[in-house]
Amino acid sequence: MSGADADQIAAALPRRRLPRGPGNLRQGWRRLRRNRTGMLGLLLVVLVVVVAVLAPVIAPYAPNDQSAMLHFGAQAPPSGAHWFGTDRSGYDVLTRTLYGAPTALVVGLGAMLIASFIGVAVGGIAGYLGGAADELLMRGTEFFLVIPVFIVILAVVRLFGVVVIGTPLEGVPFLNLGAIIVLLGLFGWPPLARLARAEFLRLKQMEFVEAARCIGARPRDIIFRHILPNALPSLVVVAALGIGGAILAEAMISFLGFGDPKTVSWGQSLYFNYQVLKVAPWAVLAPGLAIFLTVLGFNLLADGLSDAFNPRLKQ
Amino acid sequence: MFAVVLVLGVSAIIFFLINSIGSPIDMLMADRPGVTDQAIAALKAYYHLDRGVIVRYFIWLGSVARGDFGTSITYNQPVGPMLVGFGLETLKLQLPAIFLGLALAVGIAAVAAVRQYSRVDFTVMTGALLGHSLPGFLVGILLILIFAYWLGVFPSYGAYSTLTPLWGSTFADGLWHMVLPLTMLTLFNTATLTLLLRANMVDVLRHDYIMAARASGLPERRVVFGHALRNAIIPVLTYLGILFGLMLATAPVTETVFTWPGAGLLYITAIQQLDYPVIMGETLVVTVMLVLFTLLTDIAYVLIDPRIRLE
Repeated sequence: MSGADADQIAAALPRRRLPRGPGNLRQGWRRLRRNRTGMLGLLLVVLVVVVAVLAPVIAPYAPNDQSAMLHFGAQAPPSGAHWFGTDRSGYDVLTRTLYGAPTALVVGLGAMLIASFIGVAVGGIAGYLGGAADELLMRGTEFFLVIPVFIVILAVVRLFGVVVIGTPLEGVPFLNLGAIIVLLGLFGWPPLARLARAEFLRLKQMEFVEAARCIGARPRDIIFRHILPNALPSLVVVAALGIGGAILAEAMISFLGFGDPKTVSWGQSLYFNYQVLKVAPWAVLAPGLAIFLTVLGFNLLADGLSDAFNPRLKQ
Repeated sequence: MFAVVLVLGVSAIIFFLINSIGSPIDMLMADRPGVTDQAIAALKAYYHLDRGVIVRYFIWLGSVARGDFGTSITYNQPVGPMLVGFGLETLKLQLPAIFLGLALAVGIAAVAAVRQYSRVDFTVMTGALLGHSLPGFLVGILLILIFAYWLGVFPSYGAYSTLTPLWGSTFADGLWHMVLPLTMLTLFNTATLTLLLRANMVDVLRHDYIMAARASGLPERRVVFGHALRNAIIPVLTYLGILFGLMLATAPVTETVFTWPGAGLLYITAIQQLDYPVIMGETLVVTVMLVLFTLLTDIAYVLIDPRIRLE
């Protein structure tokens, strides 16, 4: 029986509307709303997003305004003109901190987008096909799990930065930041692949997938319309954790001095101002606090989502 | 067996990633007009850079197998002994931090789990969650700001005083320098291990054999630390293995914050100076450690948990 036959039969049957309960999403949202730490996480994440979008509007100065240097105003403590003070290069700390938000979000979302794509593809194929393909892909994943990701990324980013000097690539804006995002994504997928595999293995044996197969649904539809939507909640949890992780990783890479010197990022501010910590602690504390709140926000949100969408896990 | 394949495979991936990007000689000589082409060619031949990347990987692997990690370009010293020397400075911080963290976490988690949902439990859990979410290097910066700069109690950088040791004792001087970085690492380890242990502890304490142990009249201390802890710690082994395996991998950030002369700082300077032998040597050592401790974790499971037996 083909899919078209099934549709005809369905159309011929008398329509009886079943009373529909709230969908999975709505149920999850209700549970999330009752979770205090989860809501705090959501609040923090929303705050970062709002700041990222509004940074050009609410920032009191331009991000590259160093005019404080002109009248010996660098490293000045917080004042009416500069709420968070100025840093060693004469930048307004508040402005630089606000402008760090879009960078952080782009890094987190970009890296996780790449990682999710690879992870779900690898894990999904392994879980759906099973057998030799599963064995092969998962052994490959194990390789990526024991790569000391952080120190390898440090080396590659630095070498990449040296190699492009003198080539046409040099002029590409945000090249280093892009490299960091791509590398974080390329090395960040194994946890997602493992989870995707487990979810696909579990879901492909469920009755509704069997039913879909019985009415002759194509594998593509089974994967994208039946299995993937049901695997999404668990995947989103790990992805949310990963966004926080990627933001933290970029901050640490920049703090060590291997970030993109042309971008405004929290880690970059830490790197430039760490040496004057004693004289101008505000220039370090403000971006540090921003990193902490952002990472905490994504961690708490992930926790909340996990409780909301996988309530069975919680005892 | 798979472990060896894993190390070889990962080292190959890293080698190609780092070496396919460009020739270190070209990068180092780019801004030195005085160097002749012949000298560069000789240097390239000396470092086998005139060969293909695959040949170079096997040449490197061969010399590593003989215990020769090459010579550091910036320090002009053999890389192997250098890694041992700097690595020991790193372990001096990381090992005590793990053991201290575990000891503290066991005590705290036991207290919290026994009084589940009490005010003590709530405080412990909030603190642990916060300590776990706080990025370590930010804690380190805060510690330096408060205890080194504002209070002036502890030194802000280094493992030893540069001129005269404090109180005329090198040992006491070394310990005094360890306090802040050790605190930072221990805080994070304690928080994370407490989170894991408390959850397992709460789980284990519900079991019948705990009730049986209590009913048999054993003192509560023996029940919690003898019977419950033994079972609660089993799932934590995986995380402990990761902590041990990552000792050198997490060092760059810690050691940059405290200017600690260990393997992490060595690695950072090696990357800055494009010191290929050091970069390759250290990434290999870190990979071996990761694989080794994953393996040890599996063995530890079999030893501790009689329910698991190797097939």
